[in-house]
Amino acid sequence: MIDKIDETRKSFDENLSKVENLTSLEDLRIKFLSRKGLVSQLFESLKDVSKEEKPKVGQALNQLKIHTQSKFDELKEKLEKGQKSLDEFVDLTLPGRKRVIGSKHIITQTLDEIKNIFKGLGFSIYEGPELESDYYNFEALNFPPDHPARDMQDTFFVTDKFLLRTHTSPVQIRLMKEKKPPLRAIMPGKVFRNEAISAKSYCLFHQVEGLYVDTDVTFAELKGTLVAFVKQFFGQDIKYRFRASFFPFTEPSAEMDIWWEPKGKQGRWMEILGCGMVDPNVLVNVGIDPEIYTGYAFGMGIERTAMRKYGIDDIRILFDNDKRFLTQF
Amino acid sequence: MKISINWLNDYVDLKNISVSEIVDKLTYAGLEVEEIDDQAKKFENIVIGYVKEVKKHPNADKLSLCKVNDGKDDYSVVCGAPNVAAGQKVAFAKVGAVIPNGGMKLEKAKIRGEVSFGMICSERELGLGDNHEGIMVLDPLLKEGLSFADAMEMKDTILEIAITPNRADALSHIGIARELSALFNLHLKYPDVNFKESGKKSEELASVEIKNSDNCPRYIGKVVSKVDIKESPDWLQKRLKSIGLRPINNIVDVTNFVLHEVGQPLHAFDLDNLGGKKIIVRDAGKNTKFTTLDSKERKLQPDDLMICDANKPVAIAGVMGGENSEVKSSTKNLLIESAYFNPSSIRKTSKNLGLSTDASYRFERGTDPEITKWAARRATQLIQQTSSGEIAIGEIDAYPHKITQRKCELRFNRLNKILGYQIGATDVEKILIKLGFIIEKKSADELTVTVPSYRHDIEREIDLIEEVARIYGYNKIPEVSKISVTLEEKVDHYAFNDRVRELLNSLGFYEIITNSLLSEDIAKRFGNVINLLNPQSSELSHLRTSLIPGLLTSISNNIKVNEKDLQLFELGKVFEKVSVSNISDFKDFNESEHLLLAQTGNRIRNEWFEKDSPADVYDLTGFVESFLTKILPEVTVNVKSMNESRSRFDHSFGLFCQNQNIGFGGRLKEELCALFDVDQDVYMVQVDLSVLKGISITKKIFNELLKFPKVYRDVAFVLDVNITSNQVISIIKEVSSNLLHNIKLFDIFQSESLGKDKKSLAFQLEFFNSSRTLTEEEVEKDFRNAIKAVEKIFNAQLRGS
Repeated sequence: MIDKIDETRKSFDENLSKVENLTSLEDLRIKFLSRKGLVSQLFESLKDVSKEEKPKVGQALNQLKIHTQSKFDELKEKLEKGQKSLDEFVDLTLPGRKRVIGSKHIITQTLDEIKNIFKGLGFSIYEGPELESDYYNFEALNFPPDHPARDMQDTFFVTDKFLLRTHTSPVQIRLMKEKKPPLRAIMPGKVFRNEAISAKSYCLFHQVEGLYVDTDVTFAELKGTLVAFVKQFFGQDIKYRFRASFFPFTEPSAEMDIWWEPKGKQGRWMEILGCGMVDPNVLVNVGIDPEIYTGYAFGMGIERTAMRKYGIDDIRILFDNDKRFLTQF
Repeated sequence: MKISINWLNDYVDLKNISVSEIVDKLTYAGLEVEEIDDQAKKFENIVIGYVKEVKKHPNADKLSLCKVNDGKDDYSVVCGAPNVAAGQKVAFAKVGAVIPNGGMKLEKAKIRGEVSFGMICSERELGLGDNHEGIMVLDPLLKEGLSFADAMEMKDTILEIAITPNRADALSHIGIARELSALFNLHLKYPDVNFKESGKKSEELASVEIKNSDNCPRYIGKVVSKVDIKESPDWLQKRLKSIGLRPINNIVDVTNFVLHEVGQPLHAFDLDNLGGKKIIVRDAGKNTKFTTLDSKERKLQPDDLMICDANKPVAIAGVMGGENSEVKSSTKNLLIESAYFNPSSIRKTSKNLGLSTDASYRFERGTDPEITKWAARRATQLIQQTSSGEIAIGEIDAYPHKITQRKCELRFNRLNKILGYQIGATDVEKILIKLGFIIEKKSADELTVTVPSYRHDIEREIDLIEEVARIYGYNKIPEVSKISVTLEEKVDHYAFNDRVRELLNSLGFYEIITNSLLSEDIAKRFGNVINLLNPQSSELSHLRTSLIPGLLTSISNNIKVNEKDLQLFELGKVFEKVSVSNISDFKDFNESEHLLLAQTGNRIRNEWFEKDSPADVYDLTGFVESFLTKILPEVTVNVKSMNESRSRFDHSFGLFCQNQNIGFGGRLKEELCALFDVDQDVYMVQVDLSVLKGISITKKIFNELLKFPKVYRDVAFVLDVNITSNQVISIIKEVSSNLLHNIKLFDIFQSESLGKDKKSLAFQLEFFNSSRTLTEEEVEKDFRNAIKAVEKIFNAQLRGS
């Protein structure tokens, strides 16, 4: 009898290992665990066992029953779970629960890019006020009181001595007055011009000013630095040139052009920045000896650069803050 | 400024230099060529035509049917001009030509049933004059088939050059030629000024008296008698037309020609209209009114410089002549004025009058005091050539204020130090000589030069360095491709702002940039305003006192295009006057940087997993707390807000960090939104960025991770509805030991069943000790204390007990 129990147990295990789905599991149940199944049949035949052997056989039988039932239950649960995941349909084409990530204004993004390049070249970053005095905006920058250069800048005045700065160059003066050379910094910020608002001009825009003052700063190094900048910003194969120009606060003065070929249009030279060696009068104005120190300075408009980069042809869209525009960048 | 290349060839030989080389060199040297206008191109497909026969058009009375030969073939051409006749040589525009005036492209056309292969042109159609009475009839000796541009010697290129304000010397053809002579190493030749003088001396026929020699250092008068006023000869008309000037008569044309030749503005007076045959240069004096050549009456300032005769003003010095002494067709005797005026005097007058002329443009930038005599003589020479006339002997030269020529030194090592590149001494010398500098002294180390009288911009060594560098060529100076390192401390003023922007981006906010100018009405609502003296419009007349108007304008723009769900922020400066008097110092106003963040519309707009859900104040406070906890040690949103915020917001709150106020916010009042046509709720917070930056955490230090378990206790109270969760939390904190680390509100419940004006708040209390495991007793003690305190202070009941 004990042998028979062992045999049944073996047979059950063997059968169980072959079960692949709930149907064959049901077959297994009928064969072993149903009322007329093999396990029940064994219990039936217990009555034929001798009195002495009965406790031992009974115990073995009970163990068989526990074993088969628990193995069966375990497998059943496992198979049912599997079945469930097959039944459940997941439509992964439904839109996910999105989270919005905002973005910086493209003026800021462009500025970031410019800042990063100059940071890599060892420049610090400084800022200055937007409501400036005539002294910082013009006088200290070597604009004589009635110089025609002032015709080029139509300025918003608040009083005869205070104005909305027309360029970021006054921050140069502030920096040079505050600190001693060597100075190497860029100075970004908002500037204002009394220009009618149109596709081409706005009453305010952003500039980045650059300044480097030390004992041996040269025009050749100015060129090298700016070339390094335009190559990083516009690409290594950008075509550029330097032209002589005029600014009251630099001498020699230059403008830098890059070759610009908008899609489907004829290429042309476009001015991207003004630069030059800091005029000795400016250095004297801030108490730096121009015989010992030399310096270079440069300034560029960010809107123009950004518009070129992103192919925008109307400056006003930058300040409309239309969501359909903002979310593109 | 327009410059004709043909004209330049009178002074420098450019025959072997291409236009593009000229353009490049000028541009590199700082005389930027902005436009290149190739005249020959304008006359492409226009040739000399021979009119073989003229018949009446069969279907139109006023039209003729012509047969025109282009040297090879005959073409049938319909012509409407009354003066067309067989045997004429005409300007024949063939099919494919673009008519210079108007830009119409000619095609084969049927006119009243007859096919026309082109057009016979009038002067006006060719852009050569105003005559449109009939076709332009040409010299019969011209050979048919020749290109019109060739036959009429129209081949020229006109450059539009932008002259920077420092380069008054370049405002003429000789000025540009001089530049080219330096750039291409060419010989510069001034025209010979030879003519016959006869009769009396100029001084005997007229006199000049200068009463203000500061503003008029030199005045030359030259008399020409018995002139005929007539049309200028072709060559002169052509020169003027080439740079866009309209020929008037031989006298006016000559003065204009000399102005554009050498840059010296001249004026021709009718000598017989000058009272006392006298010129007096003096200030206008009080209440002077004067009618200029353009028939406009102008009011002058007392110190405006005037040219007067013995009795009355006859010209505004350096700006414009007067009607009363202008050259007319009957004029016989002339006084030619060639003067040097103080630039700032002319600039002031021109500005006051709002009148800028070719003359004032040059005088206010500084003309050449030493060219005045040459220019007067050149003009009289040309007047004699064009109209006979008798030139008086010599000229009146009133030069009370001799202008001395500057000397300037240039050290070669300084040149090298500035440029970072060595330019050889001979090159330096050659460049300066070509530009008109005279070398006074030279040594191995330096040069001393005399600055030419037309270069007002050259005063210092650095000015000479620039001259040498720009003529030598900036592009020949190498780019130093390694940069020197400076080891000073690196500073980034913007680092904090960058962090703020990035945090807000991660919370879904888009950055906006709005106008810093507002209308007075709007600006006044937010602070003590600062106004512009010269605004463009009343809409943009004051500096912004707040970022709120810019935000509302942006929201309004978006609503108009149906973008109603917005999360926006701006970082920007706002301005406020702090003094009662005018701004005369930086102390008189505040310029501070604000951050504004705002949400409006729906938090979520109809998704499959959630329906429309409008944003509310808890979205805002949530954003603000999430954002601020990243940069501040601790943050509380507190309803104990300031008056400032209460006036502008419903649900207003203040933001505090360690009891310091850093900003405020809430739901903007409807009235305010309505001013900008915003008809939906706007939730916003305004923060003073400098305050925020001041208290932000700059250094973070690692906190050991907790090694012992946390214990949680949940409790719900039934309270009066107007008790805030913060009130409860602070009481619990007050009575608890330092084992209590966090209190989280996790449920709010309101229902009839709790009683009227009651609510239930449920909190989870978090206990731990970082150095040991807690005992049941100590937690229980704190927990009981907390419950008791809340029950007692707020008359609360423990819910579910």
